[in-house]
Parts: sequence; C-alpha cells; structure tokens
Amino acid sequence: MATVTQAAKRKRTFGEWASSRDGQKIFVMAAFMIIPLLLLFTFTYLPFAEMFGFSFYKMKYIGARKFIGLDNYVKVFERKDCFGALKLSLYYMGGSIVQLALSLYLATVLSFKVKGGSIFKGFMFFPYLINGIAIGFIFKFFYTRGFVFDTVLQWCGFELENLPYWLKDQSINNISLVGTSVWRYFGQNMVLFIGAIMSVDSELYEAAMLDGANRFQQFKYIIMPSIKTIITLNVILSITGSLSAFEPPYVITSGANGTGTYFVVMHEIAHTQQKVGLASAMAIVLLLIIMTVTVLQKLFFKYVFKNAEDEDLNATAKRDKKLAKMAQRKAGR
Amino acid sequence: MKLRKVLALTLAAAMTFSLVGCGGSSDEAATEAPATEETAEEAPADDAAEEAPAEGTAEEGGLTYGSIKLGEDYTDLTTTIKFIHHKTDREEDGTIADLVSRFNEVYPNITVETEGVTDYQEDALLRLSTGDWGDIMFIPAVDAADLSTYFVPYGTVEDMSQYVNFADQWKDAEGNCYGIGYMGNAQGILYNKKVFADAGITELPKTPDEFIAALQAIKDNTDAIPLYTNYAAGWTMGGQWDALLGAITTGDETWLNQKFVHTAEPFKDNGDGTGAYALYKILYDAVANGLIEEDYTTTDWEGCKAMINNGEIGTMVLGSWAIAQMKAAGDNPDDIGYMPFPITVNGQQYTTAGPDYCYGINVNSSDDNKAAAMVFVKWMVEESGWCDFEGGYPISKTAETSFVFDGVNVVTNLTSLPGEEDFMNEMNAESELSFNAGGDAKVQAIVEAAATGSESYDDIMADWTAKWNDAQEACGIEVLY
Repeated sequence: MATVTQAAKRKRTFGEWASSRDGQKIFVMAAFMIIPLLLLFTFTYLPFAEMFGFSFYKMKYIGARKFIGLDNYVKVFERKDCFGALKLSLYYMGGSIVQLALSLYLATVLSFKVKGGSIFKGFMFFPYLINGIAIGFIFKFFYTRGFVFDTVLQWCGFELENLPYWLKDQSINNISLVGTSVWRYFGQNMVLFIGAIMSVDSELYEAAMLDGANRFQQFKYIIMPSIKTIITLNVILSITGSLSAFEPPYVITSGANGTGTYFVVMHEIAHTQQKVGLASAMAIVLLLIIMTVTVLQKLFFKYVFKNAEDEDLNATAKRDKKLAKMAQRKAGR
Repeated sequence: MKLRKVLALTLAAAMTFSLVGCGGSSDEAATEAPATEETAEEAPADDAAEEAPAEGTAEEGGLTYGSIKLGEDYTDLTTTIKFIHHKTDREEDGTIADLVSRFNEVYPNITVETEGVTDYQEDALLRLSTGDWGDIMFIPAVDAADLSTYFVPYGTVEDMSQYVNFADQWKDAEGNCYGIGYMGNAQGILYNKKVFADAGITELPKTPDEFIAALQAIKDNTDAIPLYTNYAAGWTMGGQWDALLGAITTGDETWLNQKFVHTAEPFKDNGDGTGAYALYKILYDAVANGLIEEDYTTTDWEGCKAMINNGEIGTMVLGSWAIAQMKAAGDNPDDIGYMPFPITVNGQQYTTAGPDYCYGINVNSSDDNKAAAMVFVKWMVEESGWCDFEGGYPISKTAETSFVFDGVNVVTNLTSLPGEEDFMNEMNAESELSFNAGGDAKVQAIVEAAATGSESYDDIMADWTAKWNDAQEACGIEVLY
C-alpha cells in the first residue's frame, strides 16, 4: 500500500514538473534540438567514432580487418612522407599571413569613401565564388610555360629565358600554388574585415581627426582594437586551413613533384593504396595538431591583445556568478 | 537530475534510431540482392528450356560462323534484326548507319536496327536478364557458366581460331566460342611517321638503346618533342607504363600475374635490356637526356592529340585504343603510326593484346534472326573494316588491316593461379607501388628524379625492391623466383 502511494506520488510530481513552466521549457528545447542533434550525431560524431576505430586496424575498404593497436600511429610518425608533407604547410601559413595583411589593408582603404569602392569589392570578392576545381584548371594554364603569366611578365619586360618554370621548379612550385589560394581567399577575408570595420562608430574617427591623428594612427588605435575578434577568427581559420590545404595541389599538380600536402598524401594512402587504417590515424593526428595549434593561437592572441584578456576575465567572473546562482537555486529546491 | 534524464532519453532515442536505420538498410540490401539474382537466373533459364529444341535444330542445320559464305548464303532471307552496342559516338556521327547501308548492298532483305546505349555495361546486363533485348549485343560481364543460357555459340574455339583472333575470350566449359571482338587492343608506342622520316629513322627501334637513340635523332634533326610524357594527367603515367609489365618486358606470359608477387628482385638489372628495370629505365633516360617536353608539369591530354597529329610530338606511350583519337584530332591521320614496344627478349619482340567488347547473338531469337545475326556479325568482322577504321588490333585473320606489327609475338598475360587471385592486390597496397592499380605517383617520381637529378635510377629500383620485399614479408607471400 505504502509503496503504491509512494509511486503514485512520484509519478504525480513528474507530471507536475512536466506541466510546469520549467518542464515545458525543457520539452520544447528537446523537441527543437532532437533533429539537429540527430543529424549532427549520425553524420559527424558517428562517422568520426568509426574512423577513430579504424585507426587501430590494418584494413582495406573491403575484406577482413586485423587489430594492430597503435601501429598505425607509430607508422605516421615514422614515415617520411607524412610529416614531410606538414612542412609544406609552412608555405601555406606564410601565404595566409600575406593574405590577411593584404585583405586587412584593402578592407581599411575600402571602408573609407573610395571612388568605385563597390566595384573593387565585387571584383576582389569574385574569385571566392568560383569553384575550387575550376580555379585549379584556370591556374594550370595560367602557369604553363609561355601562357598567361609568362606573357604578362614579358609585357613588363621580362625575358622568357629568365623566367622560371612555375610548376616544374621545385623551389618555387609551392609558392605558385600558395599564390592561387591567396588569390582565391583574400577577397572573402576582406569582406569580413569590411563588415567589422563598418560597425566602428564613425564619431570616433571625427574625434580622432580633431585630435590630429593621421590615417595610420586611426587604424592602429581605433580600427585594430575594434575588430580584434574578427582578426583572431580569420587568423585561426587561415592557419587551420593551411594545415589542411588540398584543392590547389590536388587539382593543379595532383600532388606530384614535391607538392603533396598532408591531405593529398592522406588521400593517396586511403584511396590508391587502400590503407584505410593508416589514413584514419593520419586524420586523427592532424586533428590533434590542429587543436594544439588553435589553442596556441588563442594563447598568443590573449597575449597580443591585452584588452581581450581583460574581457575574458570579465567573462569568467560573469560565468562564476551564474554558476553560483544556479547552485543556489538547486540548493534551494 | 531531471534535465539529465531527459537528455539521456533523447540521446538513447537518437542512438536507437540511427541503429535501426543502419540495420534496416543493410537487411534490405541483403534480402534484395538474392531476390534479383533469382529472377535474373530464372527467367532466361525457363526461356532456354523452351528454346532448347530450336537450338538443337539450328545446330543440326549447321549454323556456325565458319559455314557461312558471305554474299552467297542467306541472301534471300527477309527479316529484321536489332543490334545494341556501346559506341554512342559512332551512332551519332553516322558511322554505324553507314556500315549498315553497306551491309544492305549485299543483304538488302535483312533490316538492321541499331541502338547506342550509354552506361552500357550496366544497362546491357539489365536488358540481358529480360531475354528480350534484340538479336546482337556486345557481351557484358557474364559468368562463363551462363554464356549458353544467353548466347548462341559461333562454333568451337578451335574452329573459330582459324578465322578470328581472341576466340577464347568468351568460351564455356565445352570449348564453344560465344563472342567475337569488334576490335582488339594492343600495347605499344604511338609515333608520328613523318617525324620519324624527318629524323632519318628508317627502321623502327627494337631495343631500349635503339629507342633512346631514335629519340635523340628526333631531337637533333626535328623541332618535335621526342617523347611526350603526359605527366600531368597522371593515368597516362602509371596506367600506360605499368601496362607494359609482363610478357612485353620479359617474354613470359606467366610473369605478371603468377611470378611477379613471388619474385625476390623483380626490378633488378638483367643487363640485356629486358625486364621491369629496362622498361622504366627508358623513361628515366629519356627524361635525363632532355628528350621529353620542356615543362612536364603542365602537359595537356586533350592538346597532345592535335600535337602528335601535326608532327609536334614524336612518340607517346599509349595503348592502341588511342590511335583513333589521335587520327581524328587533326588533318594528318595517315602520319599516326603504332609500333611494338622496343624491348627484345631473346631476339623476339612481344606485345600483349586482347579484344574489346565482343558480339554475342541472342539464344532466344527465332532461327531466321539467328542466321541473319550471324551473317551480320561475320560481315562486320570480315568485310566492314570497322575494326581497322577504329585503329584496332585486327580481329579477323583474313580482313585487310593497317595495323602492322611485323614479327611480333602477340600474347596474353595469363591470369593468376587459383587461390592467389588476391596476392597482387595485397602486394600493391602493402608496397604502395600499385602496379596497374592507379600507381601514377611512382612513375611521376621517376620523371621528377630524372629531371632534377635528385635520385639515381638504380636507387629508385633498389627502393622499389625493398618495398616489394617488405610487402612480401608483411603479406606472408612466399618468395620463389
């Protein structure tokens, strides 16, 4: 008898809770979240977990698999081509710094009143809209001996004999490839920067002008601090992107002639050599590298932008307060 | 607490759903597959049973490829036959219609309907399973055991070998021949005859040394690129150079699929210009001596067709299937020539060849249609000149051909021994050399090493041997040779 009433009581309390405002809130939240979460789980976390599992096996796409523990990871670190390919990322990182500096400069110029500013913005953003494969084909012909690039340089007075082979010469072919990626992405970075700069209160410029600040000082003391979040974001995205560069080397040179980046090597190992386990291990290692690099960058920017640190301190203080409140509420119940 | 419960429930639900999803789909696939197989097997089997007597009479009547005399037999036969094929480009440009109208000059009463099918391999299999697809088709991937349920035999392989090459491509256990190729493919080197003449090369090179000398002569005496590598396209490197391994380089039909995986040093220098060592050395030497295009990283596959046609390229290493494309790409189709690969084993040059798609005749057609179809196939093979028009290796042993491979042994690389079918795949994956399996990078690396001088040819071969031996150990494959 007693147990029944207890059970009934418990049930009632759950029913009560479910019909209460808090309960309804949770239900609505769950109802809205279940589909995106389901999609996220099935298409991101589940395959990732599978891949993580694969990395411990010696396996092909079909056929039997054999558990070999950490051997694949050992191989990733032993093989020359895996980490050798990461060195190429330095080219792409260098490129991304050039790209960011260029886009920041252009964004600053274009955010003031410039004749034909919208047209320039449009032209410079345009490459980002072209499909990466198409860009690859464009640049294949662009760099061909005696084709577009050489012709343009000849107009400028260069002799064809003095020009290098842009894709054949192993000392510069990676720079040529990085060039295509800079060309493609700087417009997008620029638009992001312009968007951020637009949000800066124009009264600040007036005040600065009254104080006699020149354009550079305005940039340094007004624009830079105001858009530091966007700058941080762009740097992190660019560096991460350069660690996983794939399209330019894959389409233009098919990763041959010393241009095979980590991704291209991984693709070759996974699909041509069918060493799925090893490729999965490479993917996991790359993920760890990207995570480390991202954390390092965050720390770096914390150091560079002292204000950002202050803000973060505020944020932690706020979070602490919130947590304390929640704890109180829970204790109260 | 409760929040957590709900979350846990949600997660659990999500997991179950996804699990159900996975399980469901795989189950379906599993049950479906046998079902289709069954229907596919049943339908023709029934038909075959019904047709069995008819077939018997046809054979008694002596309907064989050999017994038909073109232009004499069946000239009064009036019927309509249907021919389905994969050459959609030839259907569109009128080549097939032209062939049929020439056929009708001899056999005015046999009407031939043709249909070019895109995505042929798959489509043809589907149509085949219905039994009612027409009278002649190019045989898709069918098991040898099923041949007699779908197709009419042309005669025994032994008899057929008198008339056509590759009669054993589609044979059943009783030794009947069910398919005749419309053209053959051979391996060798594509060259421009005019460039060779201008360079003063009067005799085709037969050994690697002669070949390199010929390339040098082209460089010295003409403006043409001696050897165009097609480096950038990738498949033109691994796909075309690896295809020459086997009988062409060793003179041994069993080497590629039976001995290669068991060989301790497959890439060692034989010293007489044979073997895999000599094959890839030709490429290395050509690059090292500057006998290839100036900038190999920007080669253009579409562009090279017109270039060899116009005499801007001396040679390219491609299968004979490429001849027709090169001929069609410019105004000098007659300059395009094809020669055996310049490796001579014990005084003998070899080439490997095999048929393209093969004509098969529907076993369910009426007797008249079977006869008409066989007449048409025989006419196509012997009189139409289609094979030659496509630049293919000859199928008919009597028809005229411009494909001259004088004094060359035409052989086929034998398939692997029973129980060892997967060895090559395993070795390819483990060694990462991927012979005949997309291993373009390793051949491209030869070009790079030769051009930059970063690695000597012997070092590359030693490296390959080391990888091969490691792979043999890892796969547990016995070293026998």
